[in-house]
Amino acid sequence: MSELAEGEVDASTFDPMEEPVRPRLLAVRQPLSSRATFSVGVLAFAIPFLLWCALSYLPFLWHPLVLVQDAGDTSVPGTYAYLAEGQLVEREVFVARNLELSRAHKKLATGERSNPIYFQPPHAVGRALYTAFTTPPEGIGDVWFHESLLQSCKVIFWGFFWSAVFGIPLGIACGTFSFFSRLFEPFVDFIRYMPAPVFGALAVSIFGLAEEPKIAIIFIGTFFQMVLVVANTTRTVDLSLLHAAQTLGAKNRQLVWHVVIPGILPALYRDVRILIGWAWTYLVVAELIGEKTGLSAFIYQQQRYRHFDNVYAAIVIIGLVGLGIDQLLAFLGRYFFPWESGNLRLFRLARSVRQAIPWGLRPEPGVAPTR
Amino acid sequence: MAEDDRLELPSYLEHTPDVKKRIETLRGRPVVMSVESLGREFDANGVRTTALSRVSFEVRQREFISVIGPSGCGKSTLIRILAGLDYPTSGTVRLDGRAVQGPGADRGMVFQAYTLFPWLTVKKNVMFGLKMKGVARATAEQMALEWLGVVGLSEAADKYPGQLSGGMKQRVAIARALANEPRILLMDEPFGALDAQTRCSMQAHLLRIWEAVDVTVLFITHDLEEAVYLSDRIVVLGANPGRIVEIIDVPVSRPRSPAQFLSGHFLATKQRLEELIHGPQMFQRIRAA
Repeated sequence: MSELAEGEVDASTFDPMEEPVRPRLLAVRQPLSSRATFSVGVLAFAIPFLLWCALSYLPFLWHPLVLVQDAGDTSVPGTYAYLAEGQLVEREVFVARNLELSRAHKKLATGERSNPIYFQPPHAVGRALYTAFTTPPEGIGDVWFHESLLQSCKVIFWGFFWSAVFGIPLGIACGTFSFFSRLFEPFVDFIRYMPAPVFGALAVSIFGLAEEPKIAIIFIGTFFQMVLVVANTTRTVDLSLLHAAQTLGAKNRQLVWHVVIPGILPALYRDVRILIGWAWTYLVVAELIGEKTGLSAFIYQQQRYRHFDNVYAAIVIIGLVGLGIDQLLAFLGRYFFPWESGNLRLFRLARSVRQAIPWGLRPEPGVAPTR
Repeated sequence: MAEDDRLELPSYLEHTPDVKKRIETLRGRPVVMSVESLGREFDANGVRTTALSRVSFEVRQREFISVIGPSGCGKSTLIRILAGLDYPTSGTVRLDGRAVQGPGADRGMVFQAYTLFPWLTVKKNVMFGLKMKGVARATAEQMALEWLGVVGLSEAADKYPGQLSGGMKQRVAIARALANEPRILLMDEPFGALDAQTRCSMQAHLLRIWEAVDVTVLFITHDLEEAVYLSDRIVVLGANPGRIVEIIDVPVSRPRSPAQFLSGHFLATKQRLEELIHGPQMFQRIRAA
């Protein structure tokens, strides 16, 4: 043992338990430890939030304006004599006015440093998240916040619904049969490059001012993408599975229904999750054509009233609803495809429901297999 | 190895009385599948390659026939044509006298890659072919459970393929193909992806199934011992172009057991296969070394 050089470890006495290998935070293509995964994930939101708090509450960091509390002696003439109580002015203007006042040996103006009105502190936005729902609409024809939220969800739902109803079957047909791929995909590719909003004027003249043109814009924005995405997903079906099915006697239509469609279901579900995100991005454009409606109209109107706290609240709500839908779909996805997740709960539930139904779908008595 | 250390092997053409009798019985059986002067050419970027050239042989009822050959001899092309997944550029394949056109349930197939449908449970995988045929659900379920019993996987009926080992997956694949009651079972290197130990037990398993069930098997492999151990006859293919070099009647008696791996007839057949596949010169070189 004495022959070992300094710093060397004798393999015979080395105990790996003595010094557990700690995974490094920055290791190339290595997963983080579960604790680090959690805390870094929290940091992802905490860092921007703390930055926001710092800029909002530490006056020496940014605060480029001054909120005038007392305009001083207003009788003193000068370039900046317009200063009045409650005004938000540039810091240079405030300083210049005080220079004018001090030259005249009059009472100086007082004020506190402040941020522009479009930069709202966290507590204001937090309060607005609540008050947006409780404040009645200001103008005639304005709607409650929850009503505009509902309008938005409705537009998204129908736009996405119709594009899925047509896009998914067409995509599967294109991915399965070269004939349909050749017939539809070149044209779909062509339209895909036209931004959906350019159809806004057309949609309004065809469908009028209400919800229909908005649904049409979301449809145009997602449908063409959907056809191509679903077609590509359909092409990922393992050819050897199709061959196996053919040697088991499956014919064309059976191959589509019993191999292609079940084979792509989990991937298709993931595609739908991504495409719903697409629909949300088109929402804002869609709502501003024709008669403004929904969350975008709310944001637009609150901006005119200079209620920026409400503007932020609405933006945050859009983010939260989008994230919520995505997470909900991800959660449900874990139950839908037991062969991928190993989660059999929904499968068992479906079976017990089927067995509880007294009619049909049950193996006839007598031929039921013995287990 | 010293020259006198070599085993004195009988000729692979020498048949013991019971082997002779088996061959006679087989020849008396009706032909299930006949391959007539089959040819397949590929045209890739203007370069014509002949994958198969004038391949002819017959498979008889309840026969276990293997096709063996060096890589690139067109084994896989041949079985894909027999299954109807590929087409020949000349010649025909007949099943019970009728020319084969496209894939069908009368020729079951087990692939080297795992081809169980991952979204179906084991039982539903076995029911797949029956469902395609329109067999009633309850009947199909019962038949599937019976076939799972034959391959010894009754307990796995409600598992998903992802939960099975490679050997179990291939057993389910065999049950799935057999449930359709095909005229012939085509097996394309079905144990090629398995480890040596599993392969060994799968071979024994397959023999037991073949003995218990009335089925004709055409088996593709590149494993010489596997071919000798399993088959009644071995079709040896040569490469460039893929053609039949010899069809060997396996002189090893049945029922087979792993003990026969060291019998004279087994070794003689294996030696002959080695000569045919690797070429006599190479074989002599190895022997001299």
